[in-house]
Amino acid sequence: MNVTINTVLSILPKSGGLTVEREKFFNISIAVLAALSLVGIFSGVYALWAGHEHTFGVSREIPWGILIAAYVFFVVTSTGLCIVSSIGHVFGFENFAPIAKRAVFLSIVTIISGFLVIAFEIENTWRMPIANVIGFNLTSNIWWMGTLYGLYLVFMVIEFVMLQLDNHKLATACGLAGLLTGVVAHSNLGAVFGLLNGREFWHGPYMPIYFIVSAAMSGCVAILFFTYLAYRFNGWAIDDKLKTSLQSVGKLAALMMAVVLFFTTWKMIAGVTGNPPGKYEAMAYLLHGPYTVNFWIGEITLGLVLPFFLILCVRAESLRVIFIASVAGMIGIFFMRYDLVVVGQLVPHFADMGLVDYPEMFSYTPSCLEALTTMGGFAFCGLLFLLGEKYFRGHVSSGH
Amino acid sequence: MKAMNIIFFSMLALLLAGGIAAQAEEAGQAAVAAQEAYDEDAYGPEAPIIWEKPVKAVVFNHKTHTKDKKLECDACHDSLFEQDTGAAEQKADFTMNTIYDGGYCGACHDGETAFASDTRCTACHIGARGENRLRQAENPAETAPAHH
Amino acid sequence: MDIKKLERSPSEDLSAISSRERREFLRLGLAITGLYLGGSVLSLVSVKDAAAFGGVVPKIGEYPYNPHYTMVIREELCIDCERCKEACVKTNQVPSYGYRTTILERRRQLTEGKSETIFMPVLCNHCNRPPCVRVCPTTATWKDEKTGIVMMKPSRCIGCKTCMTACPYNARYFQEEKRAVDKCDFCWETRLSKGETTTACAAACPADVRVFGNLADQKSRVYQLIHTPETIVWTLRPETGALPNVFYTNA
Repeated sequence: MNVTINTVLSILPKSGGLTVEREKFFNISIAVLAALSLVGIFSGVYALWAGHEHTFGVSREIPWGILIAAYVFFVVTSTGLCIVSSIGHVFGFENFAPIAKRAVFLSIVTIISGFLVIAFEIENTWRMPIANVIGFNLTSNIWWMGTLYGLYLVFMVIEFVMLQLDNHKLATACGLAGLLTGVVAHSNLGAVFGLLNGREFWHGPYMPIYFIVSAAMSGCVAILFFTYLAYRFNGWAIDDKLKTSLQSVGKLAALMMAVVLFFTTWKMIAGVTGNPPGKYEAMAYLLHGPYTVNFWIGEITLGLVLPFFLILCVRAESLRVIFIASVAGMIGIFFMRYDLVVVGQLVPHFADMGLVDYPEMFSYTPSCLEALTTMGGFAFCGLLFLLGEKYFRGHVSSGH
Repeated sequence: MKAMNIIFFSMLALLLAGGIAAQAEEAGQAAVAAQEAYDEDAYGPEAPIIWEKPVKAVVFNHKTHTKDKKLECDACHDSLFEQDTGAAEQKADFTMNTIYDGGYCGACHDGETAFASDTRCTACHIGARGENRLRQAENPAETAPAHH
Repeated sequence: MDIKKLERSPSEDLSAISSRERREFLRLGLAITGLYLGGSVLSLVSVKDAAAFGGVVPKIGEYPYNPHYTMVIREELCIDCERCKEACVKTNQVPSYGYRTTILERRRQLTEGKSETIFMPVLCNHCNRPPCVRVCPTTATWKDEKTGIVMMKPSRCIGCKTCMTACPYNARYFQEEKRAVDKCDFCWETRLSKGETTTACAAACPADVRVFGNLADQKSRVYQLIHTPETIVWTLRPETGALPNVFYTNA
């Protein structure tokens, strides 16, 4: 125990970097986030204990709800942050170096938050460690995803520790290993959806590819969001080097938004042309059905078009505008994940068979406990983020 | 411009109101006609009979047989069916096999007078789902859970 | 209205050759053409009935399991009395919020504004290529090597519900009491493993709709039913490629 504590203490920077000046404000925020996290964790534990049937909005027809969406949101962000950090750390683009340390830390924070929320969606979480080992199934994408994300977390933690210890050789190696496992794990998460033959909205090679592209976008958006937030929150001044770095990330973010917009456009066009059975109904739900607001306002406007044009309008110079773009992006990305998970399950199994008293489309609304658990995940993510800023002194790179 | 709009919308409202009124009138007339036309003394009870034995959820409509197909009461009563509610269900021989052999419904449902009793099962067997729906229509308060 | 009666009635029209004669004639024609065209058409003639199946029935001799447990649903006979459901609930302790088998209802429009009702029993299809088995991260569900039954081991289930999303038939639900996904196992645990020869639902059916048996045995009723001449056999959602083992017919 002492050894562990000593190891943790030894990687904490003792001096230099940035310090939290507004102690009171900081502590109140920590307290609020910790309280919210606890509420979420209690909700999740209670739901596990009482059973989802009686506590959550998920059902036999819609087994995956907002918690899976939140999990996807977190791991996409984590993978994205890993990709963004590797640009500077692994591939040596100097422009991306100043944000890399924070990106590595946040990729760990987001994946842990993802694990936290999915722990409450998987009804027998405690069986996982043993069952995943003795019952391993190599044809299961979810097995690969889980296993590789576990490995990914290990690599990212080692990379982060090595960065703290200024062992850049090992950090780079682990960064590369983390990147590779992260990309494979993440595309497998896409395949969890994409390889389901009975679910036309998901089925096909699009999902794994889209997941990677969208991770790159999410990673850029997330690092812009968190870096600016950290500096504003603690009243730190952004130096020129970091400013240039954030501007470069902003440009990359805009580029990735354009790519994702392109992907989405063709996904929608392919989904409505010729009314492909099982796919068309889901697309119609997004384009002009009950999920119209989610899609046009959430996904398209907030997630892609607005941030793209904001960054374009200021030529990726004003950090304040880039930050606003990243806030819109973060919200929009959550809509993307939610719609992706939920709408994929809405088309009934026996649609178009002329069934009587059978829904034309299934429906799903998160229950209060589900929403609280999800909120807990976000609060926990925020909590770790703030603690990281304090104890790692603003993640300032010392070795460069 | 504003005046145009007002005129346009009032015309639209008038049209709509007219349409609704006409529809309501039609529906009302239809309901009255149906009520007047069906005479329970001449044609038997209007409410469908739902048999629960030998299997549940089998429906019989007097109206279909008497008013629509012009059968007299004594075509069935009391030679094939006693007139008391549930009398047939009490009998041991009230089975599909008896019906196939020309008893009860099978007297007509033999494939010549009316469709044979070993065909078109769901014409009479409305099933638990059908019965649920029927009872709900009769008494909307009595909500039975319908699974999907 | 009744097509069976119609077919049995004697033809009064000279232009209408009886359907049997017409088929015999066509068969002769095909056989002759086949002689010239070689094996492919000949085999088409010899598996004429199989052609009507639309490829959903496995080829003779290609049943991977023995006993290859199968259920044939003689759909037009189903009257939705739901005795099968009651028997299943009782036998397998199915909670009120779930089901292993249920009955759906189709409506088909006929002429003159009339319609007919068709009840459609559904259950786990015990697919030969089960998507649920492929996706399970912990092999808590698997295809039994001997019988082909898709089994569940509750103590291994982590509750990720991927199998529920993967199943094209909505045959799975999460049972809170067991803390595992629950599904039809053709009554393996409650009946077959104890020496019974049929499932609870098939035993309870008064209309002989559900016929259960071994498809690998050519003398079995299930085999006979899905190889009856001049009938159509279909499965649900064949496009998913799962190769289901629950067959529907009106034979």
